[in-house]
Amino acid sequence: MKTNLRYRGRLGQIGLYLGKFMRIFVYQNDWKVLPMAAVISALVVFVVGRNLFVTQEGTATGTFALVCVCIWIGFFNSIQIVCRERDVIKHEHRSGLHMSSYLAAQMILQFLICIAQTVIMLVVCRYSGVHFPEKGIIFSNGVIDLGVTLLIITFTSDMMALMISCLVHTTTTAMTLMPFLLIFQLVFSGTYFELPKAAMGITFLTISKWGVISLCSIGQYNAQPMVTLWNTLFKFRNIEYMGEKPLLRIIQNMEKNNTVHDFLMWSAKYNQNDLYTSDALNVWITWIALLLLALVFVIISIISLESIDKDKR
Amino acid sequence: MADFFSRMFFTWFLMSLGLWKLSEKMNWEKRWMAWIPGLRYYAFADSMDMRAEGMGCGVLEILYFLMSVSPFAFEDPTKLVIAALISLAIVIALYVYRIRIFMRMILLFDLKRRWLICWLIAEWLTVLVLGFGRKYQPHPEVSFQAGWEAGMEPAQISGVSAAMNATTASRNGLSVLLRERTVRELGKKKYLLKDIAMNIPNGSLVLLLGGSGAGKTTFMNAVIGYEKADADIYLNGTNVYKQYGQMKYKIGFVTQTNLVRTHDTVFRTISDAAKLRMPLSVKLEERNERVREVMDLLGLTPVASGLVSKMSGGQLRRISIAIELVSDPELFVLDEPDSGLDGVIARELFEKLKEIAGTGKIVIVITHTPDRVIDLFDKVIVLAKDSGRVGRLAFYGSPGEAKEFFGRDSMEEIVQCVNRSEEGGEGLADDFIEKYARSRIGSTSADQTGEEVSSDED
Repeated sequence: MKTNLRYRGRLGQIGLYLGKFMRIFVYQNDWKVLPMAAVISALVVFVVGRNLFVTQEGTATGTFALVCVCIWIGFFNSIQIVCRERDVIKHEHRSGLHMSSYLAAQMILQFLICIAQTVIMLVVCRYSGVHFPEKGIIFSNGVIDLGVTLLIITFTSDMMALMISCLVHTTTTAMTLMPFLLIFQLVFSGTYFELPKAAMGITFLTISKWGVISLCSIGQYNAQPMVTLWNTLFKFRNIEYMGEKPLLRIIQNMEKNNTVHDFLMWSAKYNQNDLYTSDALNVWITWIALLLLALVFVIISIISLESIDKDKR
Repeated sequence: MADFFSRMFFTWFLMSLGLWKLSEKMNWEKRWMAWIPGLRYYAFADSMDMRAEGMGCGVLEILYFLMSVSPFAFEDPTKLVIAALISLAIVIALYVYRIRIFMRMILLFDLKRRWLICWLIAEWLTVLVLGFGRKYQPHPEVSFQAGWEAGMEPAQISGVSAAMNATTASRNGLSVLLRERTVRELGKKKYLLKDIAMNIPNGSLVLLLGGSGAGKTTFMNAVIGYEKADADIYLNGTNVYKQYGQMKYKIGFVTQTNLVRTHDTVFRTISDAAKLRMPLSVKLEERNERVREVMDLLGLTPVASGLVSKMSGGQLRRISIAIELVSDPELFVLDEPDSGLDGVIARELFEKLKEIAGTGKIVIVITHTPDRVIDLFDKVIVLAKDSGRVGRLAFYGSPGEAKEFFGRDSMEEIVQCVNRSEEGGEGLADDFIEKYARSRIGSTSADQTGEEVSSDED
């Protein structure tokens, strides 16, 4: 006896599971990730926000910290969501659940959560006095460019954690792996810490590298003043040479002639970075690179979940 | 360098000598393995039913040897540091494996735990003492070998294969022709089930009996296609394995543990299961009606809007059943549905299962407390481990016939008589497997409940 009954297809299952996950998000107190985003970004912005998008040094440190916040938030969103219900998924897979639908539903929900978290981060930054770039590169408003970048970084990190959650079998293993991934993202960004040449290739696989490049481009890093040299001069202004204080005299002259800013911009020229060129192509490349990473993570997630039936009892 | 290798040779020789003597006491099959680094720990662990640990230890031992000679190959200090770090990681893993193996050895030789310290400090010396010391002998009551050999070779029981071959699949109900269910464990074939054949008519409530480890869950997983065996399984004439894409919707399986998302409402949980499992041709009203019907049947209507996480153990069990039942499966399998339920609730549950079976379905239940509800069952399947520790069919028939066949008054006594003696049973499994097989050969044709499935049905 052969039957050809039709059952709910992939698209239908996405809707079904999206509804389910949204209810679980509310009932299981997963919504706590939203205030958590506010708290973490407030903490970081309190420390590094003052010079973010103002000076080259502040932008370099601040964007790196902001990217770390996004990665941290993204990781926490989804590191446990699949492995904590692996047995249930396995059972449902045998009852007709398509893994691609399951993951698509998870992705949509995570994307919505990431949007909410990005808005929260932007609001926190605004009220903490961060000086947003006024003019955008892709969109007319710099805040939108910044928001899209933060969203893509958070979402890609989220997908990376989702992949880990699909690969491992228990929440304990997932939480054990998470610090290693975080450290890897921080250390191998290739922007904040100097890496040996041989390790530079790895940096292209990190979310942090593309995130920092994108934020620095949007934040007009190369057009900002550099204060390190000025600060160093100021620090050593009282050094005497042959009974005189030459550095102090230079500083006073510059202040008197109102050329401090020119000096800062002149020194910034020597600190510009080609990676941070503020043009549309550069920003698009970083966005596409991040989205490609997310795509790879999703593909690995689907492949790993498709073999869930092989899990041992 | 020469000093290094002479020290290595000295350690290898003494260690191997000690293990070689130990292998005599522990009845290794291949005693020469004691002299081969890498293989010796494998053989040592294998003889104590720790094959996986032995294999890990063997591989790590080889890696450690390679890493310890690597300083002679590298001159670059960076490479040397990396080699040292890798060696350290290998040594830690190696010692963890060795500790596990030696702990088992302590148990086998009935030693004090302080031997572990001696062994950690001077491994070769400890092995030499244990190997050559006459007073150190394996404990006669501790045997691991039997555990490892379980399932490697099924017992030769006459008539079983003949009974299996004599059974033909029926077009109606559930037909099981399971030749064998095996797994590969570290390269070795292990039998879990062998030669199980039966035809279960529609409308039956079936009890699946068997001692712990007899293969009940394995059997059910094979029957419903979760874990495929070398078998032909037909449900109302359709091959379950070959038409699994469609048949999976016609089979409901309630597992031992409740596989339910706890942070959703009871109604939504069951309703979503219906959406996933019921055909698209079923109208919305019809589907909702079915959800309400199942909830009524299982007494879940009063808690429909409650969260699953707030439900009691019994309610949670009923939700698990409702999820599977809502799609109205033709074959409904429940693995210990009454676990955690008191006698009255369990009885009610089985009465409901009897009602479900009464609608023309096949309901198969695994339970460890069958006697309180045995009057409700139409058929009993008894699985037992043969002397090779392979799951076999010891009986299939009505509960009354089962009592007569085994000469026992209750199902629990039947389980006890087929259980192995070391498990507190009577160890009569082989006898009953053979007795049942012989009885089957004579009565196979009378057992057919419907038209045979033709070979081109597949």
